[in-house]
Amino acid sequence: MGRKRIIDYLLALVIVISLNFFLPRLLPGDPLLSIYGEDALITMTPEAKVELTRRMGLDKPLWEQFFNYLSGIVKGDLGYSYYFQGPVLDLLLGALPWTLLLTGLALIISTLIGFILGVESGWRKGRLADQGLLTGFMFLNGFPDLVIGLFLLLLFGVVLGLFPLGGAMTPYSQLTGVSLLLDVLHHLFLPLSALVLTEIASCYLLTRTTVVTLLEEPFILTARAKGIKPKNIRYRHVGRNSLLPIVTRTGVRLGRLFTGALFIETIFAYPGMGLLIYRAILGRDFPLIQGVFFLVAVVILLINFFVELIYPRIDPRVKNNAY
Amino acid sequence: MLEIKDLTITYGRNTVIKELNLTVPKGDVLAVIGESGAGKTTLALSLMGLCPGNVEGQIIYQGVDFLSLPEPQRRLLRWNKVSMVFQDLNRSFNPVMTVLEQIMEPMLEHELLSRKEAQKKAYYLLNKVGLAPVKGQMYPHQLSGGEKQRALIAMALTNDPEVLILDEPTAALDGLTKAKICELLKEVFSEKTVVLVTHDLSTAYQLANRVAVLYQGRIMELGLTKDILKNPRHPYTRGLVRSFPTLDATKDLQGIPGFGIEKQEGCVFANICTQRIADCTKIIPKLEKRGEREIACLRGGVVNLLKVEDLTKVYSGVTALKGVSLDIEEGETVAVVGESGSGKTTLALCLMGLEKANQGSIYFQGEKIVKWNKEFYQKVQMIFQNPQDCISHRLNVLETVCEPLVIQKLGTPEERIHKAKKALRDVELPDEDEFLNRYAHHLSGGELQRLAIARALVLEPKLLIADEPTSALDASIQAKIMRLIMDLQEKRGLSILFITHDLALARKVSDRVFVLKDGQVVERGLSTQIFSLPQHPYTRKLLQATANFSDF
Amino acid sequence: MHINYVRGFKENRLGRLGIIFLALILSIAFLAPVLTAYSPRQVSENILQPPSQKHWLGTNDLGQDIWSRVIFGARTSFITALSVGILTVTLAVFIGCSAALLRGIYERFVLRLIDIFLIIPNILLLLLTAAYLRPGPVTMVIVLSIFNWPGCARIIRAQTLTLQEKSHIKAAKTFGAGTFYILVKHIIPDLGPILASSFIAHARRAVFMEAGLAFLGISDPLLISWGTIINRALQYSYLNNWYWLLPPALGLSLTVMAFSFLGYTLEEILNPRLKVGKNAGD
Repeated sequence: MGRKRIIDYLLALVIVISLNFFLPRLLPGDPLLSIYGEDALITMTPEAKVELTRRMGLDKPLWEQFFNYLSGIVKGDLGYSYYFQGPVLDLLLGALPWTLLLTGLALIISTLIGFILGVESGWRKGRLADQGLLTGFMFLNGFPDLVIGLFLLLLFGVVLGLFPLGGAMTPYSQLTGVSLLLDVLHHLFLPLSALVLTEIASCYLLTRTTVVTLLEEPFILTARAKGIKPKNIRYRHVGRNSLLPIVTRTGVRLGRLFTGALFIETIFAYPGMGLLIYRAILGRDFPLIQGVFFLVAVVILLINFFVELIYPRIDPRVKNNAY
Repeated sequence: MLEIKDLTITYGRNTVIKELNLTVPKGDVLAVIGESGAGKTTLALSLMGLCPGNVEGQIIYQGVDFLSLPEPQRRLLRWNKVSMVFQDLNRSFNPVMTVLEQIMEPMLEHELLSRKEAQKKAYYLLNKVGLAPVKGQMYPHQLSGGEKQRALIAMALTNDPEVLILDEPTAALDGLTKAKICELLKEVFSEKTVVLVTHDLSTAYQLANRVAVLYQGRIMELGLTKDILKNPRHPYTRGLVRSFPTLDATKDLQGIPGFGIEKQEGCVFANICTQRIADCTKIIPKLEKRGEREIACLRGGVVNLLKVEDLTKVYSGVTALKGVSLDIEEGETVAVVGESGSGKTTLALCLMGLEKANQGSIYFQGEKIVKWNKEFYQKVQMIFQNPQDCISHRLNVLETVCEPLVIQKLGTPEERIHKAKKALRDVELPDEDEFLNRYAHHLSGGELQRLAIARALVLEPKLLIADEPTSALDASIQAKIMRLIMDLQEKRGLSILFITHDLALARKVSDRVFVLKDGQVVERGLSTQIFSLPQHPYTRKLLQATANFSDF
Repeated sequence: MHINYVRGFKENRLGRLGIIFLALILSIAFLAPVLTAYSPRQVSENILQPPSQKHWLGTNDLGQDIWSRVIFGARTSFITALSVGILTVTLAVFIGCSAALLRGIYERFVLRLIDIFLIIPNILLLLLTAAYLRPGPVTMVIVLSIFNWPGCARIIRAQTLTLQEKSHIKAAKTFGAGTFYILVKHIIPDLGPILASSFIAHARRAVFMEAGLAFLGISDPLLISWGTIINRALQYSYLNNWYWLLPPALGLSLTVMAFSFLGYTLEEILNPRLKVGKNAGD
């Protein structure tokens, strides 16, 4: 990957960190107010205010504050959450695995199913199966994850009582081993389904469009002429080439999945980063908000970077120093 | 080996291949030539059973009708029995697989070899087509055009098919690469039966031993390559060869005027054929054997227009013509060359009936001419050497051009003027009243000669005898007049007997040449041959004396 | 290339559906004041009432008429969607086109900016900004557009570059046409299809994001949005209040679907191979 591109990524990181830092401090008024919010400020004693101001270095010049902020990040000190009364880093590390589990699984499952269905559908373009799938997924695509999550919760959780209404595990159950695993899966099922259902449609549509366009290419004719079995043409020739746009869009899709996770975790009270942010925003806990954004931004940037790095392996037409 | 019977392919309402019949014996290399839209690629694809249109008829490989087989069985035959080298170099390979993988793929897919063996064979094939082993590890976009073509050829050979089909194997290549690929293909073609589809006549000439000329989905002419391309007998093939620039062509390029109509009753070529007769638009000509080749033409190919047998003319003791025989076909230019006194003008005069020959016969359109009457003159016209002389000073332009019509009593006065104006436009002279009222002495040499041509053309003759039409003119005017005459030939299918002493000029405009010396024909043949390899010493002498810029 | 848009939409089932949905929601939004007797903000003492003749969809925890809130919510969604669509596309067009036409350092700067913006997950930036600024309707539109235009601009720039090479534009230049003339008379009309697709895509996203932000409680609490309604309703879900939850969810879904269908139909019109017709897989 070209140097320019790496610099782009670093610049992006810098922008995120800076925005995170400068936004509250640029708003008019007492910075403590912006950072801790009105409610917190009201309950704070004057001594606490002074202490916090000193601790957060708000009385120091701006550039020194920025430097402290940065060095804090490097040291792993992301601030202190007033709402949860604990270091931000700990809170993040507690919530991260759940979100990774949810989003990761959702990404894999929706990609797999969406892709395969897209290929099969595109191959049979015009026939009943394709028409059915297409219409079905177009409808599905129209529902925002909010609505799907709600629907699943209400139907399967409330009305049918098949699944728990919230949380990642049954609290205080102290299960271990397989039963723990089953419990987790049981709690995971609805939120995961909601997320998967949302994402699968776009994956399917993208694949199908690519496949349909690809089928007109001469090399597909070559493959047929060589007497290749239809299944092999579908996957070895069409499929492989259709993967490309999906991989390229991984970054975008992750962003979308994260937003989706935000809403789904909120609806299902699933203790991941999404719920954390929600609660943080409700409680106007700015250090937490900053911390979460920082972490998520870094993760997504890393993944994007990684995808760009390996893309030339998948598509040999892209030269390694494309930028 | 391969038999195509009554193949008809339609796309929607469009019939692209019409009742095609063709047999390719084992070991033959057949080139199917034609212009774009003739249906060549459709034909090629159908031989693999990959044509997306509606296909009717039979394609029989060694007794098995490919088209009647269900798709799974066709798949088994593909690449094993018959394989194809595609046209689109850039997009016929899968961009994300290496070249080697793609060459190995058909071997593995049909379970002929193990992975290791397939790889060995793939490298062997790469070597055979002249590609370094390292190219196998590369991806298609990393290869040059010529290399991609070689890779496609290698890929086609993997399962040792008996039949090879190639779709424009040299179209996208430059000259040198083309030559090298042709070399390679000649090697590859040994022991295989090949159908080669192309619009490039020189490739067809180099690689194929037989050729089929395709026009609008029908075969017009079929036979040995050498015969067909060097001496085309079907008017379309002739037009095709004339329009293809090769190093040995001497005559200037001429196109095929107009364009064919889709829904054509009768012969597909009838619409633009210059020798068509009424039946041509009603009856579809079948491919019939004539000599060594087969032709689809109701008239049996290019017909003979004028035949002169043994013409002898004596002027008080001097034998001007001694047993001269020559012939002119439809739509061709025959040059009669020789020095002054060789009898050229006498020949012209005898042909026009202005002098009576002592011996010999003249046949026009198959009939012997005994009387030179109006019908004859409507079909055969002459242009004389000196335009100043041959146009009366008493008549103005309009009257000059109308004169033949008046004599032949053709049309009403308005119609005659109309025809006259058209003839003037054809020779690029103005048709306004101002010009029409001018007299001969007000016109330049070039204009006069054009006027003479217009006058000759107004009767719409089939044969024009031009006796030194440009020797009295400047070179630049000469060029324009010759250009004009050749255009007229292209547009109207005019046959021209061109009499001249200027060999360089004759070379540029004629299809065939007769060399006249002292009233006798000493050499005759195709222009391409006579001017490059003259046999008779007299011809050689003439050529040496011809205008040239060389330093010898 | 003459593309008959009207016929394309008429022939496509999904397209027709999309138009119907859109028309439905649009008319509800437009006629909102006529369709209800209550003001959506008017509080009363009849809290948490199930649907009745007086209140078609019942009342919420503040005694507000749910039906009114839902139909006025349609207005918010629509206006936001259309404004964002227009603003995003306009920004993208001017920045993208000017970058392609003016080239030089300006173009390189713009490209870099776009590249960097595209790396950063803009949804995060959106949330961050929204969390601090608590956007009202206008701010919401601006914020949504600011984070959307880079993607659009990149596509427009690429397309403008391609269009520039076309002979009819070169011909216009030989007549002495200036950059602005070419931009307005030739390039923007030719960009039409892409602009339409982008507009639809961004409008769709805007509906979604606006409701989402409202749901999370990040936007102006005074704004009547389907998101806030759903949020509130969720808190009282133990009351089995489908009448409170479903209508905004339905409205949201229909609107997003309408845009989706329109967008896909447009894609099909421009790329006829996507149409369900002759299949290539045999």
